[in-house]
Amino acid sequence: MTMTLDETPKSGGPQEGATGAVRDIEVDRETLDASIAEFAGPNADYYAKAFHTIHDTTGWFPRTFNRAAALAGPFWAAARGAWGIFWAFLILEIIAFVQIGRGTWGELGADQLVQADRQAARAADFQTRADEAIAAGEDGTRFQTLADNLGRAAERSREAAEAAAADAQLILLTGLAMLLVLRLAQGFYANIVYEAQYSRWRVTPDAVPSGLSKRNLFLGAALGLVVIPLTVYRFTVEGVADWITEFPADPDIYSTSARWLEGVIDDAARSGAGAFDGIVLLVRRVLDAISLALIGTPWLVVMSVIIVVGWRAAGPRVAIFTAAALAYIAFLGYWEIAMETVALVGAAVVLCVIIGIPLGIWFGKSKRAYSFAEPVLDLMQTLPAFVYLIPIIAFFGTGNPPGILATIIFGMPPVIRLTALGMRGVPDTIKEAATAFGATRWQLLKDVELPLALPSIMTGVNQTILMCLSMVVIISLIGGGGLGQVILEALQFAAKGPGLLGGFAILFVAMVIDRIVQGAFRRADQR
Amino acid sequence: MTECVVELDGVWKVFGAAADDTIAAAKSEGLTKAEALAKFQTVIGVRDASFEVARGEIFCIMGLSGSGKSTLVRHVNRLIEPSAGTIRVLGEDVGAMSPKVLREMRAKHIGMVFQHMALMPHRSVLDNVAYPLEIRDIPKSKRWAISEYTLGLVDLAGYEDRLPKELSGGMQQRVGIARALASDPEILLMDEPFSALDPLIRLQLQDQFKTLVRDLNKSTLFITHDLDEAIRIGHRIAIMKDGVIVQIGTPEEIVTSPADDYVREFVQGISRLKLVKAHTIMTPLNGSPPPGDAIRVDGEADLDALIDVSVGTTHPLVVQEAGQDVGTIDKTVLLRGIQGGKA
Repeated sequence: MTMTLDETPKSGGPQEGATGAVRDIEVDRETLDASIAEFAGPNADYYAKAFHTIHDTTGWFPRTFNRAAALAGPFWAAARGAWGIFWAFLILEIIAFVQIGRGTWGELGADQLVQADRQAARAADFQTRADEAIAAGEDGTRFQTLADNLGRAAERSREAAEAAAADAQLILLTGLAMLLVLRLAQGFYANIVYEAQYSRWRVTPDAVPSGLSKRNLFLGAALGLVVIPLTVYRFTVEGVADWITEFPADPDIYSTSARWLEGVIDDAARSGAGAFDGIVLLVRRVLDAISLALIGTPWLVVMSVIIVVGWRAAGPRVAIFTAAALAYIAFLGYWEIAMETVALVGAAVVLCVIIGIPLGIWFGKSKRAYSFAEPVLDLMQTLPAFVYLIPIIAFFGTGNPPGILATIIFGMPPVIRLTALGMRGVPDTIKEAATAFGATRWQLLKDVELPLALPSIMTGVNQTILMCLSMVVIISLIGGGGLGQVILEALQFAAKGPGLLGGFAILFVAMVIDRIVQGAFRRADQR
Repeated sequence: MTECVVELDGVWKVFGAAADDTIAAAKSEGLTKAEALAKFQTVIGVRDASFEVARGEIFCIMGLSGSGKSTLVRHVNRLIEPSAGTIRVLGEDVGAMSPKVLREMRAKHIGMVFQHMALMPHRSVLDNVAYPLEIRDIPKSKRWAISEYTLGLVDLAGYEDRLPKELSGGMQQRVGIARALASDPEILLMDEPFSALDPLIRLQLQDQFKTLVRDLNKSTLFITHDLDEAIRIGHRIAIMKDGVIVQIGTPEEIVTSPADDYVREFVQGISRLKLVKAHTIMTPLNGSPPPGDAIRVDGEADLDALIDVSVGTTHPLVVQEAGQDVGTIDKTVLLRGIQGGKA
């Protein structure tokens, strides 16, 4: 059944009692007015009328003018709880006030005047020296020229200062015009903004401010009274007090806290030395095993294996690229050092995966554990690497194993996060089905949760590999070896040639690993 | 239909911390669902449910969404723990089972089918069906043989090596049914299995399922929100509202004598044609021999089928049960039967 706007419902139909056509239906003004009155508080009648005008019209041009908003400016907005326009217009009005201040009492051209005085003084100085020289019977033209030049420059500066001072009136007018425009804008648009606030208030009365609040007015006034005079003073008066432009910091606070923190770290490093050494030993074992495999094995074997793996995992094109990249590395004599880099990344990734996947599974299953872990993971990812290199040196010393630990801090969050995400993404219905068929918790994990979370876990591992690769250069700062060291040395001596060659070597290592891993994962996805 | 395979006795499920207080208050002063929420911040999911399912029976639980029917059925294999009451499956108290015994019961005796199929997307159809057997450590050769057989039961032979996503919704649900049948359980729990399917496929699957269950002699607890489906499939129907079982009875009983206004409103639109059976309206023979040349109809034939047969003949129809002539139906009896109750 269709009904046009003009069609009158037939009497006795479902719309019995409706007398007019659809287009004649009117809003129930009484309930609307009551609702607006509840929202607006004081001046309810005015706002009801204004809102009706807004509701009745379309188009962008405002048909209402709020005198209170035009007169009080941002303070009207503060009192009505419209903090968005309060801040916007407060800042704009400050700009206007600054212009007015500069135009009224600002010493415009003061800088140029000072400069003109200085130039005039030096011109006079040279003039006396020229006079002395002439009096002594020597050639004074050199001094005379300088004095003339400086005198002209002083004259120009003075003219500039006068011109700037003459601009004062214009600046004052600009400021006043700007203020007028801003107030008019507030007057015209206040009701529109306030009506939007009313619409939001209808949905969430608790979250949206309503009525005229004395507390808000006081707050807005206090803010305005602090912000406006200080800012205007700062920008219009020459030679303001130091405490306005510079925070009065106490150097003692800094030195005591730094000393205290140093003591804490030293104590912790001393008392936990056994544990930290154990961790370093463990990391070293993993690194040594991978290094031995990559560097101890004849280079021909390792190269062939890498190329074949590239072929099998990602196809012939990646294999050809891999061969070319390895040739570049080998011919430039980077082979061993590049393999050290691969071993560093490999050890970091292995440890990340071994620790990260079980943690991710745990966090995926336990919401509480995840809520505790999330801020830590955020910190691990947002903290700049340079910041935690220092405590790592304090606790673990320098060299490759501490470098790997720094890499793990940076590289582990993605695999944890994406494992947890994958675990949480497994549909409850499928888990329930497996349980209903008698699966144990281990079977549920092995047969349902891990396979379904696998794509997400693989994405996490891939991201972890890339993050670890990006740390390779940085860990050379704390004695990590490999290609990063080459770059660091080149950087220290500004050696452009070696730096670029080493840089390309790192790039190729990263690209080969990334291509092979992505190719392998893409194939696994298709299966 | 004497042996009882599933038995629920006074089962309550209350979600929330103060479950025991809620049950006590509900038992003593008849606390309603809304009052429980206001007073104890608890939600009554199932309220004092008791019923029995006999061997070979299809027992339907019908209710609208939120009536607690899915919650109730999950008590049978203890996917949900009851707050009070006992559940017995094949004579054993489910609540008293150790985790190991419970898993064994789930794996061997209960097959479950879900509304959203819940197939494992990474496994082939064959491996999906074989999963309940895999859990029980049955060797691969055996479980593949059984799975192929059960896939044949649901007419899916030839689809063994496809992935579930390559199949249509109706076929996927048949895989779900095959999976539930794979371990040859005595009991099937069907949680709105056909609700997500389009009407035509639904009708086909209902018929297929009914035949299958009769042939295999399974006992079924069938959840649905569709009274038509319940009447089509169920031997008996329990109607649930707000966690309470309002009425239990055969489709005929539910339609002919609804327990309250709620049920009456439901059955208003249900046609009797498909419900009332020949043996209900027939005139018993009482020893007198039936006319030899008359057309024979089955005692289970519904009025709709009787009309189809009856328009082709002027003679009364003879009703047979188990190959024996037991009664007759003439045109008057048939018309009165369609009208209902005025015979």
